[in-house]
Amino acid sequence: MLLTTGILGAILTANLATGNGAYRAYAASLNATAHKTKTIPAFARKYGLRCSACHTAWPELNAFGQAFRDNGYQLGNERDSPIFQNPTYLPIALRITPQFHEESTTNQVVDAVPGDSSIKVQRRLTTHGVDLSGMDFWTAGTLYKDISFVLLFSSDNLASFHFESAFIRFDNLAGSPWLNAKVGKFELDNLISEKRFLFLSNNGGLYQSYHFAPIGDNNGFGIGDNQLGVELAGHNVGSYTRYTASILSSSDGQPGLVTGNSYDGFFTFSQAFQVPSLGVERIGAYYYLGQMPTVYRTSGGAPIAGSGVDNKTFYRVGLAGDLYAGPIEVLPFYMHARDDPFLGTSTPGNQALPAGARGPQWNAEFVETHEYVNARFVLTQRAEFVRMAQQAIPGTPTNVGDIDAYSLGLRWMPFMFSRAGLALHSEYSLVRTVGGAPLSGDGVGTPPLTPTTNVWSSSLLFAFDFAF
Amino acid sequence: MMRTFAILGVALLSASAPAPYMAGSVTGTITFTGTPPKMKPIDMAKEPSCAKQHATPIETENVVTGPNNALQYVVIYVSAGDQGSETPATPVHLDQKGCQYIPHVVVMHTAQSLEIANNDQTSHNIHPLPTKNPEWNKSQPPGSPPIVTKYENADFIPVKCNVHPWMHGYHIVLATSHFGVSGNDGTYTISGLPPGKYTLTAWHEKFGTMTQDVTVGAQPAKADFQFKATPY
Amino acid sequence: MRLFLIALVVAATTVQAQPSILGGTREDFRRYCAGCHGNAGDAQGENADWVDPKPRDFTLATFKCRSTPSGTLPTDDDLFHTIKRGLVNSNMPSWKPLPDETVMNLVAYIKTFSPRWKTEKAGTPIPVPPEIPVTADDILAGRALFQKMECWKCHGPEGRGNGPSASTLTDSKDQPIKPFNFAASSRFKCGTTNQDLYKIFLTGLDGTPMPSFADNFKGDDAWHLVHFLRTLQQAESPEKVVWTEWLSTHQGQLKPIGPEGQ
Repeated sequence: MLLTTGILGAILTANLATGNGAYRAYAASLNATAHKTKTIPAFARKYGLRCSACHTAWPELNAFGQAFRDNGYQLGNERDSPIFQNPTYLPIALRITPQFHEESTTNQVVDAVPGDSSIKVQRRLTTHGVDLSGMDFWTAGTLYKDISFVLLFSSDNLASFHFESAFIRFDNLAGSPWLNAKVGKFELDNLISEKRFLFLSNNGGLYQSYHFAPIGDNNGFGIGDNQLGVELAGHNVGSYTRYTASILSSSDGQPGLVTGNSYDGFFTFSQAFQVPSLGVERIGAYYYLGQMPTVYRTSGGAPIAGSGVDNKTFYRVGLAGDLYAGPIEVLPFYMHARDDPFLGTSTPGNQALPAGARGPQWNAEFVETHEYVNARFVLTQRAEFVRMAQQAIPGTPTNVGDIDAYSLGLRWMPFMFSRAGLALHSEYSLVRTVGGAPLSGDGVGTPPLTPTTNVWSSSLLFAFDFAF
Repeated sequence: MMRTFAILGVALLSASAPAPYMAGSVTGTITFTGTPPKMKPIDMAKEPSCAKQHATPIETENVVTGPNNALQYVVIYVSAGDQGSETPATPVHLDQKGCQYIPHVVVMHTAQSLEIANNDQTSHNIHPLPTKNPEWNKSQPPGSPPIVTKYENADFIPVKCNVHPWMHGYHIVLATSHFGVSGNDGTYTISGLPPGKYTLTAWHEKFGTMTQDVTVGAQPAKADFQFKATPY
Repeated sequence: MRLFLIALVVAATTVQAQPSILGGTREDFRRYCAGCHGNAGDAQGENADWVDPKPRDFTLATFKCRSTPSGTLPTDDDLFHTIKRGLVNSNMPSWKPLPDETVMNLVAYIKTFSPRWKTEKAGTPIPVPPEIPVTADDILAGRALFQKMECWKCHGPEGRGNGPSASTLTDSKDQPIKPFNFAASSRFKCGTTNQDLYKIFLTGLDGTPMPSFADNFKGDDAWHLVHFLRTLQQAESPEKVVWTEWLSTHQGQLKPIGPEGQ
């Protein structure tokens, strides 16, 4: 995904140049609304179900859809093997979102006189127009009974493609739903999935918590980035109880073995239960323990990809929930995070830390709510806060790097069908970053001149989100 | 004087006699014009115990014709003008013999008892497909007692045996006891009708329905029906 | 202009219907069920043409999986369990993850599609006596019943769904239908347990060629047949263990099932 490649690009550049990897916003060429398809009309076509059977409002899954996914994209009625489909059925779906949007960010550092870089000022920059999103080209399904696959071929809005997900999954090992194994590149088993959420704008189309790194930190890892690894997952029938245990390469999902030889671990557990007259409630916990190399061997001064050493660790831990009160859904999330001081100060492991450097720690939380007026109309809101608890360099003001993010949106689907989907999507998102460029943004993001300045970035989006 | 009284008495008695004493009837002949479809011989090789009961294979019975373009298995019944009728206490019988429903069309009153016997050496399942009554499906092995059932609502019910797919019949359930079924010569009789005006409906499983008004008096009324036959 | 657009979005998001109007069972039916079963419950959903076997037509109130005699309406429990369990070898999923309340409301909604529910009461569930122990004799008795009741005519001598009448079977809507293949699955159309299987042939699968054998079984006959049918399946079961052991010591003693066995 564009964020992934952008941030990894930043990591590598930062590591190799031992410079300041604080510039989070990606280059202008990666300007696009985040596109994270996990809706697959191909499943609706295969099984003859409307999208709404599995999705509260596509792409978000309901409890039935979650069980279908956990079962390896199988309904379990002895009709899942591809031999039961017409040979011309191809499990392919695609999604793209033509849109009008406006992006506006305050306190951007620009030349006072265009072309003359001697004097810099801070200005609000605004741009709007009709635009494209990236595109997702999806194929997923069963190779055989209890062997399934996913391939998500994803592009930015300039049709530059990469593999967002690609994995094979062995389901119901030993005949038990408690043992399923997935190998490849896949989304981490976050209870609240960023890939299947209901926001699309530049500022709203991501969870800050899932990608945040403090200013001055060169750890490009995000729990919302798809990772390369092996996942063991299990669930009971109906998926009310679920666990996963994954071992991931410490590459933040970048293929090609370009980082080092280290591995991360990710563990989740969640339990759902029914509350009469309210619905199915799910709460879960997660823990990610990771490491990043901080030094690359060089040859003739040029870094050798894949030779990363001097790993430094980090962790992410927290709780999440998916709670229903009839047609109202509440998604609370909490994270506590810590990066190693070397990562927090972008210091290679073979050099000395700045005096008094500590591992940065932060807490992030959000609450998101949805109201399902009916199966084709949903209203969404979110408020998210990232608060630094401990800065890496002593003396840094406590709130440098803090983020507040707000989103309001609605999705209306003119039809709810089994072959294809269309959603008319409106969204307004507002993000305040202290002393830094917005995590996403209009691609022109720069940090402000002083570390305690608030940078406000807003996105206004009217989009036609369709999938076939 | 006595003679006058006697004549008056007889006249009075006959004038006040209740209507059934003067019940009339309707008869008629059912024929067709045009070309009916050809009935096909039934291959009972899958059921040897039935196949050997027929020296030559029997034919399907969707359209059974007789001499002089007669049409058999047409149900003629009073569809209007009836004063109401009671469910007869005696049951109607249907037999399964030689893997055939005998008769092909069995007619009964609503809620009248229907007894279905299996006189073959093989199991049959009786599977009626009603639209106005519940659908049911029961197995009947050889030697088991007759299945006794009834239908509450008037209906024209195709019946089949799933094990022997060539077996087709009809259970006709009527809200009147005034009905008749045409024989192979096409004739039918409906008796026990009080005098009056009635509408008769004639139903054939393939050629649809026709109606005709008839007036029943002292003499048997006549109502013929002529169906338009089509080859398919 | 920006303020206006923002206000528009905010206004749109604050149009919040009261919870009593939001959702509702009709919405749930359209969300989960109507794609196949049709908005009017008449099996005319947009996917019905592409689905085999066809979806249930609720307007006829004829249901396969019941605990009540053939020709009678199922109980609410029957419908609830059918929805939660799904129907194997069909497109009807197991809706187990849905809240129980949602499913109970859907059962009540399904009953509004046919007038029969207003005039008839649900049938009386058939009694299911306690299961008898599995023995070789009991399985042999079941095998004899399989022969005598002529199950093999549709289901085939080995229960593979390839009996002499299998190819001509049609359901009540004249759609071709295949008899159950015991060798292919470890589950049954209406459940997974021996009790579920017991109920299937005592109530028949209404709407299909599978009749009710309620009038034809006496005493422990039905349990004998259940135990024999388990030996036809691929999955391991206590019945298979007993049967395999008996077979190993009684080679060649059995008459084959089928026309020769009569």
